[in-house]
Amino acid sequence: MRHYLSNIYLGVYTALVGMRITFKQLLQPSVTHQYPYDRSFEQKKNIREIPKGYRGKLHNRIEDCIGCKKCEMICPVDCITIATQKLPKGERLWDSMNVVHLKDRTEIVGNIEGAEKPAPNTAVTIQTRDNRTVAVASEEIANVVERKPVIFYLDQFDIDMSLCMYCGLCTEVCPTECLIMFDNLSDGIEYSTFDRTDLIYEFAKPEMYEQPTDESTEAEAAD
Amino acid sequence: MAAPQPESKFIELKPFSDEMIVSMGPQHPSTHGVLRLELKLDGEIVRDAIPHIGYLHRCFEKHSENLNYQQIIPFTDRMDYIAAMNMNWGFCLAVEELLATDEKKFSGVPERGEYLRVLIGELNRIGSHLLSFGTYGMDLGAFTPFLYAFRDREKILLLFEKICGARLTYNYIRVGGVSRDTPPGFIDEVKEFIDYFEPQIDKYNALLTANRIFIERTAKVAVMDTEMAINYGVTGPNLRGAGLQWDLRRDEPYSIYDRFDFDVPVGKDIPELGVVAGDCWNRYKVRMDEMKQSIQIIRQILESGLPNGPIQAEMKAVRPPKGEIFSRSEAPRGELGFYIVSDGTPKPVRLKAKSPCFTALSALQELSRGLMVADIIAIIGSIDIVMGEVDR
Repeated sequence: MRHYLSNIYLGVYTALVGMRITFKQLLQPSVTHQYPYDRSFEQKKNIREIPKGYRGKLHNRIEDCIGCKKCEMICPVDCITIATQKLPKGERLWDSMNVVHLKDRTEIVGNIEGAEKPAPNTAVTIQTRDNRTVAVASEEIANVVERKPVIFYLDQFDIDMSLCMYCGLCTEVCPTECLIMFDNLSDGIEYSTFDRTDLIYEFAKPEMYEQPTDESTEAEAAD
Repeated sequence: MAAPQPESKFIELKPFSDEMIVSMGPQHPSTHGVLRLELKLDGEIVRDAIPHIGYLHRCFEKHSENLNYQQIIPFTDRMDYIAAMNMNWGFCLAVEELLATDEKKFSGVPERGEYLRVLIGELNRIGSHLLSFGTYGMDLGAFTPFLYAFRDREKILLLFEKICGARLTYNYIRVGGVSRDTPPGFIDEVKEFIDYFEPQIDKYNALLTANRIFIERTAKVAVMDTEMAINYGVTGPNLRGAGLQWDLRRDEPYSIYDRFDFDVPVGKDIPELGVVAGDCWNRYKVRMDEMKQSIQIIRQILESGLPNGPIQAEMKAVRPPKGEIFSRSEAPRGELGFYIVSDGTPKPVRLKAKSPCFTALSALQELSRGLMVADIIAIIGSIDIVMGEVDR
């Protein structure tokens, strides 16, 4: 009997101890975001900021792709399909662009003017694809991805994002770092569709090779 | 006490008996995944409970035979998805041990890589135990701890997102090191989290662990003594909850665990609370205490500071020499073992994963005999299974 009554007392008492903790929590601000409706957290950047380097949707900058098929081989679920044609021996279309990694974890895609490995204490100018010129000091540069010659026509470069498991192995093996994963909310995460076939992304652009004027200017720029 | 042998795979009923068969799951919210229990009930007394598994079977072992060692790592994420870092780690340890049999191929993981592995592994252990604590409270009718646990687990997931780019399937620990270095400010954020989280554990203990209703629900329920735990091969918090102080991190230290000072919490008889070693409450309490020990390990890492240097060993390709290895590591749910047979090619000939959840689940049948239906929920929550790891 005594045990029974003390159990009731302890049950009520320990529940009240818990209630005190929950009551204190009641006075604190809520941590929940009503995400699809309330998107203010993107501006406030308080808790749910998508961090740099997040593994989101895959994207290929096809102009820099050299068709080495390393991503196709490493993919554990075979979601990348590549078809290439090799150019005659000794020929090349153009060079892929440099990717300059700065020490504050930003990346600049563009050709470094002059030597690819800049000397210390110099200003480095980088010519981007949309003809902008960016100048950075060589101390800020963490590492530079070197240019590689493009010696394949890319007939097909398809990524089936419905199969992708977001392991990121393909982006790590890419020698020109043209295969990337978007790390922002609008490109990398919010791309759901109603039709599964819409998730097959075709990156190959055959018209890239067909315009002789563009090709010659590209080749000149690369040289 | 020897394990009783079931006569047949399925339960047979005598005609005209009062007993009945109830199928619990696979879509039951308290079975922590797709577990189906075939219960033989006499009123509300459970006469027998047979777990039927395989609803989440994805052929991990057979699939691995067709993949490179690098490509297998993302699949180990999907075994115990609550503690995917520790799954990556267990697999990489096995491959590294196999590589180390040929000294020319592998010279060891760099210091910084080892420190990052321990840091991340212990953070993931906290995250895993937090989920176990939260869902256990919810299974037994306390909804608030679940919300608190998920709020704090979210902070750990945010840290992981920053360091490896994913929330659940990390693919972070690689053969020979880790995949990415810490982003700027990461160590400060870990410290901030640890400082925030340590007093929270005491709050949770006051909220749920010391709650008399919770104790009445879990004390002396499904007592698994040390002998039974060893007979079934149960490891991890379930074994320690039974009272045996056995932790691979302390007793057979792998990686750099021998440099850290931490206790191994075990289940105890506490007469004033009415709990005995090996009951549901003690299995639960061991997890709560382990979170504190994990914090202690992380604090020691933060105090000594991460050493500078490479995070990944220099190696051309993962091509282990001919041979076989069985390697085990202490995952949050117990000893995770990997058995790999290699013939010198980049793909394993045979890969077998020894899952701690599977062995813990095998003890369920004996634990649940003679108890009430509601106690089954308490047992499943206390042995803390993840069906992704049971079925693989």
